Amino acid sequence: MAKIPSLLVVFQRKNKHLPKPIPIIHVARLSKHYQVPVREAGLRQAARALIQRQHRTVKAVDEISFFIHPGEVVGFLGPNGAGKTTTLKMLSGLLHPTSGQVRVLGYEPHRRQRAFLEQITLVMGNRNQLAWDLPALDSFELQRAIYGIPEHEYRQRRDEFIALLDLQDLVHKPVRNLSLGERMKMEIVGALLHRPQVLFLDEPTIGLDVTMQRRIRTFISEYNRRYGASVMLTSHYMADVEALCKRVIVIHHGRILYDGDLSGLVERFSAYKTINLTLKNGPVSLEQYGEVVSQEGSNASLRVPKSETSRITSRLLTEQAVADLTVVDPPIEDVIETVFNQQAEAA
Amino acid sequence: MRLLSLAYTYLRVGILNELQYRVNFFIQILQSLIALVVGLIGLWLVFDHTTDLNGWTQPELLAVMGVFILMGGLIRAAIQPNMMRLLDDVQQGTLDFALTKPVDAQVIVSVREFRLWQVVDVILGLGVVVAAVLRLESRFTLPDLLGFLIALALGGVMIYCFWLMLTSTAFWIIRVYELVNLFEGLYAAGRWPVSIYPNWLRFGLTFLIPVAFAVTVPAEALTGRLTPLTLLGAGLLAAGLFLLARLVWRLGVRNYSGASA
Repeated sequence: MAKIPSLLVVFQRKNKHLPKPIPIIHVARLSKHYQVPVREAGLRQAARALIQRQHRTVKAVDEISFFIHPGEVVGFLGPNGAGKTTTLKMLSGLLHPTSGQVRVLGYEPHRRQRAFLEQITLVMGNRNQLAWDLPALDSFELQRAIYGIPEHEYRQRRDEFIALLDLQDLVHKPVRNLSLGERMKMEIVGALLHRPQVLFLDEPTIGLDVTMQRRIRTFISEYNRRYGASVMLTSHYMADVEALCKRVIVIHHGRILYDGDLSGLVERFSAYKTINLTLKNGPVSLEQYGEVVSQEGSNASLRVPKSETSRITSRLLTEQAVADLTVVDPPIEDVIETVFNQQAEAA
Repeated sequence: MRLLSLAYTYLRVGILNELQYRVNFFIQILQSLIALVVGLIGLWLVFDHTTDLNGWTQPELLAVMGVFILMGGLIRAAIQPNMMRLLDDVQQGTLDFALTKPVDAQVIVSVREFRLWQVVDVILGLGVVVAAVLRLESRFTLPDLLGFLIALALGGVMIYCFWLMLTSTAFWIIRVYELVNLFEGLYAAGRWPVSIYPNWLRFGLTFLIPVAFAVTVPAEALTGRLTPLTLLGAGLLAAGLFLLARLVWRLGVRNYSGASA
């Protein structure tokens, strides 16, 4: 699949006199392969595996390439096991790449140099780093010591974040007494106290209710706006991605399927559009125009091939008494699901 | 400087946390006293039959017991809890957080936990040591005290290194919780001076599990038996073990991040 150049790069080509923006994350033909033992079911096979282990190579990430520029918020999408977390771990220095290149802020992440680690942060929605039995405030204090944040800056940032997330009354409670959402907010405050330039957020809103998801989203967006930090976010909730990310990278079976604008994803992968219409004179048969998704009284919803949309729309307008008509793209979730299903069938 | 301030912050937070659980303090006192009484009965039983055990008199053996209790307290207060947390972190993948911090990860995993109430054993052990020294026939001098403190510190370093190597095996073999019981069992051998054991066991307790250096050598310092050569040997062994432990830890982390694959 061809890589779509980001808007900035296109803009750059047209305006050669502008200084070249340096990508903050630079990934070229990056791969991570795992050797996993193959073991068949059954006692005899298990016994044989003790002596002679068979291995199989799993390509968790397979030659992916992309750039991320300063201040960009990029959604990293893909089904479970697509290679999202493996990629984030390589970007944050936890995993060594099998081959290919990674540069984050100009550093090779896996060397884990101090200057690099001081500028990044990693948040994992399903794992905690705050001490369970301590009030979050104590854990923040530990973060201050680890990052060597000067006292007054520490206080100022901490109080700023606490106010933004409305946590004033909770910071003195032991973390174990907080709700899942409150705990996640605390985790994020702790992870941002050193004011990182690059944020790797792996499912930061997993398991949270809608209100809590929205609060966290708003906060990340605000952090990005205030400090110009770059964010790479994986999430199963498309609402997160729609609210935060202009650009998405879709990964499946370790390969990039799509890299570009969120709206372009729909444009590219959805073969259908939905026409919603209200008729002036009650129900009529609409089968001749397209697939009727729903029809209730004078309201109806039709699914039509994308290329046919304008022709069908004008036919409807001339042949029927239409009170109101709108053409919409299908929900992003549906599009993504279609993409993954098609890929699964192809594989 | 930064590492010291980091260790201090962890210590302070750990102490504040433990202060919340006062019941544990009383339970610990009870436990420590029971252990002390059992130990004293053991000593009394031995000296009911003989006046010295392989060259160690009663007050001298009391000194060994004091060091044993003191060192045990130090291990359970500062070393063991950190290593248990490291085991959990490797299993649950939360070690990722320690590895993405701009501080040597070995330092972080070694200073995070502190069990304040185990200090009861340290104080009790110190009390037994003082009682033993007062009953010794020879005079206790300042160089003896100095030798004792150095030997104690070196012993602590060696036990830490031993534990770190043991725990680092978790990077390859995930389930190693039984190791704790194994260690406790072997450490219990330190209740007596290692010189009373047969040669093969003494070797194991000296170089494999450095119980001899953690307990017997500091006790030798208290009883005027410590030679400069032993102390030098302890220093060299501590340095060697430290380098080895660091190597094993680094290999473990490499394995964890798939660098070796």
